[in-house]
Amino acid sequence: MIPPTVKIRRMSSRFKHQVPKYKVIRSEACINCGTCAKTCPYGVHERVDGHNRVRPPIDYKCIGFECQSGDFYCVAKCPRQALSLAPNPMYETLGDPRWTADMITGTWIMAETGYPPKRTDLEYNLGNSGGGFDKLRFKFPANPAKVDKAKISTAIPLNRRNDGREDVVISTPVYGGGMSFGSVSLPTMVSRARNATHWNSFTCTGEGGYPEALKPYDDHVITQVATGLFGVREETIQRVKIIEFKYAQGAKPGLGGHLLGEKNTASVARMREAVQGSSLFSPFPFHSVYSIEDHKKHIDWIKEMNPRALVSVKVSTPNDVDMVAVGSYYAGAHIIHIDGGYGGTGAAPDIAKKNIAMPIEYAITKVHNFLKEEGVRDAMTLIASGGIRTAHDLAKAICLGADGAVIGTAEMVALECVRCGNCESGRGCARGIASTDSELADLFDEEWATQRLVNLYHAWNVQLVEILQQCGLSSVKELVGRTDLLEHVDYSR
Amino acid sequence: MPKKYHVHTKATPLDLDYIFKFQIVRRENCINCGKCTKVCIYEAHKRRIDDPRKMADPNTVVCRNCFRCIQECPRGALEKSLNKDFLNIGGAYWKADMLLTLWKQAEDGKVPVTGAGYRGPFTGTGFDSMWTDMSEIVRPTRDGIHGREYISTSVELGRKLNHLEFGENGRLLSTIPRTIDLPLPVIFDLPEAGLSLNVKAAMIKAAVDLGTCIVLPVAQITADFERSLDNLIPCLAPGEIERHQALLEKARMVAIDYSGERPEDFPAVKARIENVCEALTILRLPAVEAMEQTVSKLAHSGAEIIHVIADYRGRELGGSSTSTPRLIKDIIRTVHMRLVADRIRDEVTIIASGGIAMAEHVPKAMLCGADLTAVDLPLLIAIGARLYEQPERFLVFPPGLEGISVEILTQRIVNLMGAWHSQLLEVMGAMGIREARRLRGETGRAIFFEEIDNDTFGKLFRKKEVASI
Repeated sequence: MIPPTVKIRRMSSRFKHQVPKYKVIRSEACINCGTCAKTCPYGVHERVDGHNRVRPPIDYKCIGFECQSGDFYCVAKCPRQALSLAPNPMYETLGDPRWTADMITGTWIMAETGYPPKRTDLEYNLGNSGGGFDKLRFKFPANPAKVDKAKISTAIPLNRRNDGREDVVISTPVYGGGMSFGSVSLPTMVSRARNATHWNSFTCTGEGGYPEALKPYDDHVITQVATGLFGVREETIQRVKIIEFKYAQGAKPGLGGHLLGEKNTASVARMREAVQGSSLFSPFPFHSVYSIEDHKKHIDWIKEMNPRALVSVKVSTPNDVDMVAVGSYYAGAHIIHIDGGYGGTGAAPDIAKKNIAMPIEYAITKVHNFLKEEGVRDAMTLIASGGIRTAHDLAKAICLGADGAVIGTAEMVALECVRCGNCESGRGCARGIASTDSELADLFDEEWATQRLVNLYHAWNVQLVEILQQCGLSSVKELVGRTDLLEHVDYSR
Repeated sequence: MPKKYHVHTKATPLDLDYIFKFQIVRRENCINCGKCTKVCIYEAHKRRIDDPRKMADPNTVVCRNCFRCIQECPRGALEKSLNKDFLNIGGAYWKADMLLTLWKQAEDGKVPVTGAGYRGPFTGTGFDSMWTDMSEIVRPTRDGIHGREYISTSVELGRKLNHLEFGENGRLLSTIPRTIDLPLPVIFDLPEAGLSLNVKAAMIKAAVDLGTCIVLPVAQITADFERSLDNLIPCLAPGEIERHQALLEKARMVAIDYSGERPEDFPAVKARIENVCEALTILRLPAVEAMEQTVSKLAHSGAEIIHVIADYRGRELGGSSTSTPRLIKDIIRTVHMRLVADRIRDEVTIIASGGIAMAEHVPKAMLCGADLTAVDLPLLIAIGARLYEQPERFLVFPPGLEGISVEILTQRIVNLMGAWHSQLLEVMGAMGIREARRLRGETGRAIFFEEIDNDTFGKLFRKKEVASI
């Protein structure tokens, strides 16, 4: 059920042009008759009254070769055969095997419209990585039970311990991952918090303090206690409903957080109680935690400080992640949040991103099964992150055994991140998302960004509900661990 | 605690036409409004100096692919594509992106750090089909490369006894063989033929600065280089041993090209070496089919150090047409496991080379069972060489290379190895391993794609299909 606070509104790109998938070429044979401008319903061709010439084609508006079947195909309509259509070489410079250009474009459309794209030429649910989620497909039952879409619930509880602490329920099984002030801009943080409030979900401060601007959204903010303890204060721990211990991050397991000096601006340094301009490397591991007993002490400490809050433990995915998860259960955590090796980051060594620890797909299965074997699965909330790019990834992760997911990169893409990967240095993000530079951090307003995020969450929710309906399920809780609804292209066929 | 090993890196750019990845072209419908100049934070767009009314051609070397200019140009006059030169360099193994990052590391000596998550394929072949493990919570006293703790990257070369023998009165009967310590699990392999003198001198000097060794053909070890003899490993054929007695007497190690020789002849060769010098012997063996048997026989006949050499893309040499060639990762694993099964693994040192192209390949080769690795092409890439795999292996050296000073070339090689060393520390730190020697064959700290994929998805999905039939 979508919370009443969620309102879908079209929120266009803040840029004049989108990245075009196709290239419309007009040759010398053009006689500027304007037929194309009259024909094209998408506005690729423009002929301004009083101008002699037709304007150069606006490539990004073109829907591509699927247009051929319509009766408005400009290439066919042109009386002089002056038009041709080709893939645009620019498109190859966008995206990568994990986040393909189609996936980025699809996410942009979702953030703009609030719904999955209607275009059929975009493969936005699957990446091109050749493994993991990209090799899993849904296997919908032939005769699913009939369920009314409007009655399908996507809410999940986060406290399953029945320990008298707050029964926190989120309306959609997704919340925002930790991104610190310093790694991202204040408008980015505030917009994420506002989206979390609209969606009755959460966002996380990351390791870098709790900006006052987030105070109105306290009930939907998770504050993070990470190894550097940057910006951690008793007062901020007491104001939230969930506190997250970050033991490790999937993109850089076994290494602490990195904030390179150039991004440590005056305001960031103040928040972190650090020296402006110096690179901040958080240690690894927590030097107060060398055993599961120490871990329990850590959790007890937080529970003592905030008697109503839930405790989430964020770990990366080594071979023994299942043991760590069970250890966290016995230490009293409510949420075990596993962050896979291919997860996002604002700055990490390339060698760590590619090589250290396992992808999330394996870890979900491992942890889910081990918690089940230990008989504690029902008392823990298992949250997966690190490579959940799309609504399909989310649903697959739940089928593999997660209760819900944390996302980060997808939110950034909704704010028009192009994944150029330059967030770590200099003035930070050229597109103003992951920057605290006074000029760059001001490139968009919170109104725009909040709506883009609300729209993205909505589009995902629409897709998730569709999947649940096709499976004949009335709640996302029933999808957990349903590997029978999946198949793998290498093994099943 | 031994003195901390430190590599002194220093920014050392070369004045070269570097290959860049993105090409931006300004089309004729540009109205010279200058919007691109305002939006580009990397200064790719500037006005012409001779005529400021017009825009200059984009300086796309600095382009970081942010798309701002593309998306904000009021006329859509800018077009971006992948640079043709970028698409042509390297190949299927030596990917173009890999060359770019090697050049960068040689320039600044730093660990490559970028924003956003991993962007590549889920898995691949060879070293790309494994991950290194990490430890989550339980381990005191370390902070990775920024930390207080000493992580040792040194390795030992030479024979170690399986056990010690004692005589009456507890007198030690065994003679402990000599071993050589290197502070880095990397040696430099035979340089390409036809390199200019300054390049060769830089490679030797870099080996000296780093405290490692370089394998050089014996004929190339001129009097000039004899000062660095501690860091040189003369390479020769078995027939040449006596002829080079004078040189070998001063060397710490000698490399014997043992391709085409029979394992059973080794004791005689060894006797001849011992006759002229005390150097430890490295036997160079091409990685061919069933080579683990040769390695095993040689180890049993007293070989101290065996160097397994695959081709430049890490593939088995002279593979038969019927089978796909094995990859260095699997060759090392097989050799290692064979020696373990023979209970002789500790008595011989295994060097692996061929296709060691990135920092991560060093710990991965070691996890698979090598004691250390040897590198060749990355050293040349460090000094600015371009590598092409198509239509065949081909190296292009920067123009004017002969004129670049030995100091600059040395520093670039040192930078690259310094960056690799730091990355090795990152990976070892995450694994919780404090000694590089303990990486060897430590597959418990590795995750292999075939195993985990089968254990997870194979179990989940394959069985079910069978059951439903």
